[in-house]
Amino acid sequence: MIRFLLLVSMLALWAGGAPAQPLLDWTAEEIRTVRQHGPWPPPPARDPSNRVSGTPAGIALGEHLFNDPRLSGDGRMSCATCHQAGREWSDGLAKGKGAVDLDRRTPSLWNIGYLHWFGWDGAGDSLWAQSIRPLLDPREMNGGAARPGELLRSDRALACGYEKAFGEKPGPDDERLLVDTAKALAAFQATLVSPRTPFDDFRDALVAGDRERAARYPLAAQRGLKLFIGEANCNLCHLGPRFTNGEFGDIGIPFFVRPGEVDPGRLGGLARLAASPFNLLGKYNDDATGASTRRTRHVQRQHSNFGEFRVPGLRQVGRGGPYMHNGSVPTLEDVVKHYSEVSPDRLHSDGTPLVRPLGLTTEQSADLVAFLRSLDADPPPAPAPAPKSLCP
Amino acid sequence: MRLAAALLGLCLATPAWADCPLDLGRGMGWVVYSDHYLMAFRSDPARIEVGEPFALVLNVCTKSGAPAELLAVDAQMPDHRHFMNYRASIKSNGDGRFRAEGMLFHMPGRWEITFDVRAGEESERLTHDIILK
Ligand code: HEC
Ligand code: HEC
Repeated sequence: MIRFLLLVSMLALWAGGAPAQPLLDWTAEEIRTVRQHGPWPPPPARDPSNRVSGTPAGIALGEHLFNDPRLSGDGRMSCATCHQAGREWSDGLAKGKGAVDLDRRTPSLWNIGYLHWFGWDGAGDSLWAQSIRPLLDPREMNGGAARPGELLRSDRALACGYEKAFGEKPGPDDERLLVDTAKALAAFQATLVSPRTPFDDFRDALVAGDRERAARYPLAAQRGLKLFIGEANCNLCHLGPRFTNGEFGDIGIPFFVRPGEVDPGRLGGLARLAASPFNLLGKYNDDATGASTRRTRHVQRQHSNFGEFRVPGLRQVGRGGPYMHNGSVPTLEDVVKHYSEVSPDRLHSDGTPLVRPLGLTTEQSADLVAFLRSLDADPPPAPAPAPKSLCP
Repeated sequence: MRLAAALLGLCLATPAWADCPLDLGRGMGWVVYSDHYLMAFRSDPARIEVGEPFALVLNVCTKSGAPAELLAVDAQMPDHRHFMNYRASIKSNGDGRFRAEGMLFHMPGRWEITFDVRAGEESERLTHDIILK
């Protein structure tokens, strides 16, 4: 019997397959939980508040605008300056660098179309509203509200792309063209879906009961996943296929920007949301049913929102970094160390804390990192080809 | 099954409650009651997903048959002492029927839903636990 097994495993090696390694025992409950982190990829995102969402012409126009530095005040900065395809749609910096240095890190745009709140503080309630901010913000592109209109009217290719996407020529109303620019930008960004990962293969195999295929997932990642959904309770917040509940939390990252100045996080975001003429309750929402406004209508400000930041999704997380809203945690190992050692004084909770110092062993920490790295596509996503011309 | 039998007993014992429509359609939902109130509700959509908005469709009755009002619906996670990040709004559809719109549970675990009901002068808080997986 043993000799037979040996022979089988030698044959497997010889055939080029990975050497057989054991599969941990997974309870029905654990399998059910793992299942919830898929399937991947999800169906394409559609945003009813954006009439060019999911349309090929809207996406094409958005891709051109995304890469167009003429939208910025000095003509040198585009969205792609900070959200770089080769850097997981971020910039690899701890904090963004616009017209001036920013206080927050540039988030990756992977899987952005599936979110409901945008920005670290959730000040945007749609992808298009969020895309207006960098255009206008004097600290970022500083383009001014009239710039997109001027550009769409004066550039022949863009004017033609606009007409294809929106069914009419760019008109005289600059604010409307600012919003339409943002809607095309949003249509493009919603197509940025991260590729499948080793975790996805494992998840599908486990759910299908295919033990052999599931066993290809490294043991350390299996142990890390068990921790993630078990003892460490990471999936209280990092849940679902994108590994985020899309809401906000406080995990004890200091929110001092400078001595004496704090980043109020979600609390400030809700104030900005309410003040924005571009929120979903305003006149630019293309959704006649009203269904898209439910979160915006019902969201409530609470004291606990102070210092809360959006729970980031974890796909492609290992290829990103530095981490957190302020880029204050350099590596994935440091993130796990944070969760292992965070001081309870930093966590403002009077119930069973959602985050508590886990006191992980060296091996457990390594396992958790191995799991997090299995959320990266392997091989890494291919660089996007240059956009095709808008109107051939 | 046992619950259904108990409820049937309850309804037969109190004539006004026998008129209280507990079936909100779709043959599913929850029933909560106290000495004075009897309430049935279901969620719309039927399956509550973590992080997704939903509504509650409710029927509120009183033992005396007097009209009841639903004042507020809220929910919290007692284990973590936090509420929802959203505030539900309530619409009355007449005859003790209500719809609470804008609920959202942002974490798996035990959520305690509270219903503030009033009939005339007296108000009361009913609760119901849901475990979200
Ligand atoms: C100077 C660097 C910079 C430029 C240029 C820039 N961004 Fe950003 N982007 C950021 C930073 C920093 C944040 C985080 C902002 C916050 O949370 O307050 C961000 C956030 C976002 C978000 C929200 C992401 C999330 O996870 O919620 C979107 C969407 C976005 N940017 C799109 C764009 C678009 C579209 C453009 C071009 C019109 C653009 N950005 C230009 C730095 C930049
Ligand atoms: C209470 C909800 C919550 C729990 C539980 C939680 N996280 Fe987080 N996580 C967050 C929030 C919120 C942030 C962003 C914090 C910030 O930027 O200030 C974050 C950030 C991260 C990041 C950095 C991602 C990035 O792009 O910057 C990683 C990695 C991470 N968490 C992994 C984990 C792991 C592993 C666990 C379990 C040990 C865990 N989280 C438990 C809410 C949570």
